[in-house]
Amino acid sequence: MDWQDTKWKIVKEVFPSEIISIIGDILAGIILTILIVPFESFLILILLVPALLSIRGNISGPYIARTSRDIIIGEFNKKSLLENILATYTLSILIAFLIGLFGILLNYFLVRVFIITNGILILIPIISILLTLSISIPFSTVLNIIVFRRGLDPNNVVNPIMTAIDDFFTVLCFYLTIIMLGVP
Amino acid sequence: MDYFKKIIKESVVIVIISSIMGLISGTFLSINQQILYSFPIILLILPSLNSLIGDISTVLTSRLSSHLYLGNLPPKIQKSNVLRNDFYGLLITILLSLIALIIIGYAVGIATGIQIINPLLIITVIMLTLLILFVMIFILLFTSSIFLFRRGKDPNNFLIPLTTSLLDFLTPLILIFFIYLFT
Repeated sequence: MDWQDTKWKIVKEVFPSEIISIIGDILAGIILTILIVPFESFLILILLVPALLSIRGNISGPYIARTSRDIIIGEFNKKSLLENILATYTLSILIAFLIGLFGILLNYFLVRVFIITNGILILIPIISILLTLSISIPFSTVLNIIVFRRGLDPNNVVNPIMTAIDDFFTVLCFYLTIIMLGVP
Repeated sequence: MDYFKKIIKESVVIVIISSIMGLISGTFLSINQQILYSFPIILLILPSLNSLIGDISTVLTSRLSSHLYLGNLPPKIQKSNVLRNDFYGLLITILLSLIALIIIGYAVGIATGIQIINPLLIITVIMLTLLILFVMIFILLFTSSIFLFRRGKDPNNFLIPLTTSLLDFLTPLILIFFIYLFT
């Protein structure tokens, strides 16, 4: 495969994925509004959502890019994949904990709605991120392999598609987590 | 576990900084919620707008990294055909995606009964914001990728989290700046 793509090849591969991403993000926005707004603790929950959505760029994006690069340069194997996954989960737990911690601080100083315990505020991002990654990691890995085997550049195709999938499942897993934890 | 250690070592600081930037971005949005409520269509389009420019920067970082590792792009700050193709390819993609985003966004807005105020102004503001961000991010990513690669670091680990969070912060900032400027 010639990796020195022409500009039209880039457009041809990235644009359709972007359309999926745009539709997915608009759907995620609508679902977020319908599912989260009715909660009594909405003001606190909405503090966590933008930070959780940014995980896509901070954790999931680099995981996908590393996998794409490993496949392209021929260094993709069981060991590299396992270490990549383990590092991604380690980073995500650390970030989820920090998001929970900041959520407590923002609630204490700005929102001042005390209907959720601090423990729950820490647990929401951790469980939510772990659930999302458990869907996102296998999906993006398989997608990377399929796209590469079909002769397309995974760099162009996988990330935009996964943005839509990640954003949608972040919102859904966030909703499932607050239901599981009995958040009012 | 060398690969694991390399990822953690190269990512941890930048991921923490990026998360803090994400939280600042949320705070900035809530401070300016009045202007967003005056143009409600922006609230609907903003997540997709963030994700569009974020995706393009991720694709660019990922491509630059692969080009550098494969030797298609020399690790020097200089013009090349590979770089020119990436610039024009992604610029055309972003413009086409923007048209699609405006059409889908306005269609959903009409379907869900969201009030549409001064559409020409909003479209102009969105286009200006995206073009400014694209040019800025392209230069930043190209120069930073070369710099990091020459130091033996993987540009993916640093630049994807950094630019995504930077863009999550800059997109509403520039958008709101232009709305203030034109209204």
